[in-house]
Amino acid sequence: MNVGAMNSAVAKSVTRQTVGPAAAAALVHILVRGLAVDFIAQGRRQRALNDINLAVLKGSFVSLIGPSGCGKSTLLKVMAGLIIPSEGEVRVADISPQEAVKARLIGLVFQEATLLPWKNAIENAAFLLMTADAAMKRSEAMDRAAMMLRLVGLDDAENKMPSQLSGGMRQRVAIARALALEPEVLLMDEPFGALDAITREEMSECLLDIWERTQKTVVLVTHSIDEAVFLSREVHVMGTGPGRIIETLPIALTHPRTEDSYSDPAFTVAENRLRGLLIEGHKRVRR
Amino acid sequence: MSDTTIDTTVPVSGHIRRRLDNFLPALMLSACVILFWKAVIRAFRVSAFVLPAPSAIVVSLVENASALAIAAKATALEVLFGFVLSAVVGIAVALVIVRFERFGRALYPLIVLFQNVPKVALAPIFILWFGYDLAPKIVLIVVIAFFPVAIDMLAGLQSVEPAFVLLMRSVGASKGKIMLRVRIPHSLPHLMAGLKVAITFSVIGAIVGEFAGANQGLGYVIQFASTQLDTPLIFAALIVVSLLGLAFYYVVEFAERVFVPWAPKFDPIQSAG
Repeated sequence: MNVGAMNSAVAKSVTRQTVGPAAAAALVHILVRGLAVDFIAQGRRQRALNDINLAVLKGSFVSLIGPSGCGKSTLLKVMAGLIIPSEGEVRVADISPQEAVKARLIGLVFQEATLLPWKNAIENAAFLLMTADAAMKRSEAMDRAAMMLRLVGLDDAENKMPSQLSGGMRQRVAIARALALEPEVLLMDEPFGALDAITREEMSECLLDIWERTQKTVVLVTHSIDEAVFLSREVHVMGTGPGRIIETLPIALTHPRTEDSYSDPAFTVAENRLRGLLIEGHKRVRR
Repeated sequence: MSDTTIDTTVPVSGHIRRRLDNFLPALMLSACVILFWKAVIRAFRVSAFVLPAPSAIVVSLVENASALAIAAKATALEVLFGFVLSAVVGIAVALVIVRFERFGRALYPLIVLFQNVPKVALAPIFILWFGYDLAPKIVLIVVIAFFPVAIDMLAGLQSVEPAFVLLMRSVGASKGKIMLRVRIPHSLPHLMAGLKVAITFSVIGAIVGEFAGANQGLGYVIQFASTQLDTPLIFAALIVVSLLGLAFYYVVEFAERVFVPWAPKFDPIQSAG
């Protein structure tokens, strides 16, 4: 049975007409229906994403994986309200992404930590929160930032400047900065893409720990099959020309996941299946 | 990288030694040049009128000390006012170009075009318009020195990581807020680089302005000395000009260290090697 089709079916069937808004919001946190995004490139209209349907359940951890140019980052930016779709509908907690942003429901993490070099770790972690909420007292924002730095394991680096932090630590600050907004949804665009292999695994475990503790809805864009399998409950495999979801793969690994999960047979099964799908998509492009 | 970490850990005495180590080679090279200079004058019997011996320049420096000091003060004043105004104009131009994009697109090519006008040729016009005193020199300095400030500030304002702008937008920050909280602070290291160029341009502008018409200042002294065929005095004045420029440059560099401590440390020798 094609799971992707099933997921699309869920997305299509969950409408505000058939189910009450509150019930739909409780079940489906992010809903994307019939989404298409066109870009104007060199004077020509190009379709970056076509007919995307997906539903992310509340408290779920979902990954988007696919080759470069499949539009996975674009899809994430649509969910974050940073790109207006050309067709279709996107709902976050049953409101538009733009409204969700205003309600501070969305936290963003990018590949680069993008910390301000003139502020230390805790000021960086508090920065977005203070920007988002001008009325908030500085001390309150700093308290919350300190709490989030503890959550990401940076208790003793509060006063360090970004130039004194390693790549992994900077990315932890970036995650703390997103969490300080106390969002319901965490959208992450290859957050560990610039880190070395071991730091990456460390960060994966850190993220998993945060997710298990905070029960936020997480959408992760990644290139790494390992990362997608280890972290996600569900992986959407995307393809190019134009960008679309090829298949949706539920990950049957048991929770809580630990280092031992890597050697779980279910891990290998999911990993091979994902690799197969990605190679298949790759071949299709070359033809 | 390792250099900056060492910098914070060495004791003060070590720090002073390091600075000495930095200056010692330059001092030694200067001494060699002066010795060579003297040797050439001895060997070829060059007349003091063409190229004075270093000792003759020192004598002239001492003899004319008070006159040179008064002249230096006048020039320094021009440089100071001119530089500050250049900074203000340069920063304002950059902010206007970024803030009002359409106007900026119209303004930018005109500024670049204007930059290609030889400023020396403008000096007589400014004398004509603004008289003989401080004003024409300041205007000339601004015309010469605002450009590096504007260009570097512009580069700084525009080079903020796009991801950071997205992040700001994602929490609903307005353009003005992004400008104030992110773009402007981010541009400061670039601005300081522009100011370092501007301060040296300012000294040049002051001298050029004085050449075109003045009754005081180091440029005036140089011109006066050349009419008197007093070559040692020309060189003495040149030395004072250089020292003045050096002092101004280090003031700007000191300001950078104080106000923009996160600026990447610039070591021309290391970055070239």
